[in-house]
Amino acid sequence: MSARPDAGHIAYLAVNGAIITFLLAPIAIITVFALNPTPYISFPPVGISLRWFEKFFSSPEFMGALWLSLQVAVVVLVLSMVIGGLCALALARGNIPGSRVLTAFFMSPLMLPAILTGLALFQLYLLLDIGRPVWGLIMGHTLVAVPYVLRTTLAVLHNFDRRIEEAAAVHGASPARVFFEVTLPLIRPGVFAGGIFAFIVSFDQFPISLFLVMPQGETLPVVLFNYMKFDLDGAIAAASMVSILMAVSVVVILEKVIGLKSYVKL
Amino acid sequence: MTTIKPDRRSILKAGAAGAALAALGAPHIANAQAATLKITTWGGKWGEIMKGDLLPAFEREFKCTVSADQAFPFLPKLQASPRGNPIYDVLHANSNEQWKAVEFGIVEPKVDPKNVPNLKDVYPYAINDKIAGVSIFTSGIGLGYRTDKGLGKPTSWKDLADPKLAGQRGGYLIPVNSLGQAHLMMLGQIYGSGMQDLDAAYKALEALKPIKLFDFTGQMEKALLSAEVTMGVIHDSGVYRYEGTPEPVDFALPSEGVLALEQVLTVTPGSKVKELAYAYIDYMLRPDVQKKLAEAVWYSPSNTKVQLDAKYDAKLFNTPEKVARLIQPDWKWYNARKDAIDLRVTRILRG
Repeated sequence: MSARPDAGHIAYLAVNGAIITFLLAPIAIITVFALNPTPYISFPPVGISLRWFEKFFSSPEFMGALWLSLQVAVVVLVLSMVIGGLCALALARGNIPGSRVLTAFFMSPLMLPAILTGLALFQLYLLLDIGRPVWGLIMGHTLVAVPYVLRTTLAVLHNFDRRIEEAAAVHGASPARVFFEVTLPLIRPGVFAGGIFAFIVSFDQFPISLFLVMPQGETLPVVLFNYMKFDLDGAIAAASMVSILMAVSVVVILEKVIGLKSYVKL
Repeated sequence: MTTIKPDRRSILKAGAAGAALAALGAPHIANAQAATLKITTWGGKWGEIMKGDLLPAFEREFKCTVSADQAFPFLPKLQASPRGNPIYDVLHANSNEQWKAVEFGIVEPKVDPKNVPNLKDVYPYAINDKIAGVSIFTSGIGLGYRTDKGLGKPTSWKDLADPKLAGQRGGYLIPVNSLGQAHLMMLGQIYGSGMQDLDAAYKALEALKPIKLFDFTGQMEKALLSAEVTMGVIHDSGVYRYEGTPEPVDFALPSEGVLALEQVLTVTPGSKVKELAYAYIDYMLRPDVQKKLAEAVWYSPSNTKVQLDAKYDAKLFNTPEKVARLIQPDWKWYNARKDAIDLRVTRILRG
């Protein structure tokens, strides 16, 4: 006898289907727009063409912006992992007075509207007369990326069994050796999970970049925004597809290199 | 008191550190020899011509470097920068933003013809009281429409209110788009006592509902191309650029007049390279530069001496008679009421 699905189960499936559709619909629309040869969104599509990808990849402006965004995101990833990881260790282990206040302080960039952070940094750089250097942009991105690493690393440290470190020390390992061979491998899932967020936050960062990019040194989201004001064609969709694939590639590569399955526990 | 006696090792260390610092500082010194002009400029086809051709030629002629910022928003960035060391020397913006900049005191309200000789050849509208700085080009804001929907060519702004266009007409989010703001003033002119008759304008705006609203003119352009919109408020260059393509779109100049969408240049009071800034404005007004940009992006040149090729000559505002059809909104007046207008139109269009 086959079991008839009850109404609750059907509703559950329907709600999940609706959520998945809601999440994926923009990607589907972008895909249609990117592959459609017309310079506007038309449905049904009139054909399949790679002309917008060709335009995107042959444009020195888009390519320069893509390359810069990637470089900045990689540096932000590394900086965020180092700063966020060390901050988390200090806050969780350092017996620092007011560690809760400090944690809130380090998390505060996420509370502020990013556009205000961008404007404040822009003014600061101008007051210091340092202009808008790339490292200034990296600092801005790092500021909003560190809280992600901090939060995920603190989550790992919260469940950390310190007796493992003590056992290593009892067996003669130096503090440095304990850190590199015991502590670091155990907090790595948190640090890398936060690092992935940091990469994506930087790669897609718009409000902060808007103020901090220098002329002829614009990141991809800023170039796309400005392009859209004058030419709203499929090149925007092609660029979006490339961005999405880039973010997915980073996750896939990290999964292959480091293994992300353990991070799911976070 | 401790006396430090330098030994050989410390001298070598200091020398190495000095050399490293000198190497790091070298690019600054090299760049310091050539003045840098910081400007804002548009993207798209305009940006391609500027960066690919016109700016390098300017740099060669004036032996300088031009740093051209294409990343919006220009005005907040200029506002946030120190008055004595502004982030831009020349601000390129539309007229509404230029007037805001004048009010903030971050750009000079006028350009002296002594500093910009080509000003003597521009149409009066480019430097009149409605303009802060100098308008180097203008577009005409009128009605873009599809030619394949069985509509006749619109002749009046009132044609946008045709009931047949319900849900098929296009306008702008007025708080963020100057074409929408100019159109609102025009509604006051058409349906009321003048461009400052806001009550008549609000009533006419209400009557345009249902209307599709867009942030940017680029979106309106695509909405016309995709037939999402059958008729919409747009600048002539946004439609003329499809001339010679199979796209069934055209531009109509309403009989009541065409709104001017000016491309305006101003100089910042704190600029350290004012001579260069004026030279740049003069350069942008040269007939050859004007012709190149006008024909690339379908903008009407301000210089009366520009000789356009026939197809551009037929459509752009380049004679005293054609220029007389341009209506320039009073942006100073509008900006002073903008907050109240934004609230009101948002309520109208949301409801």
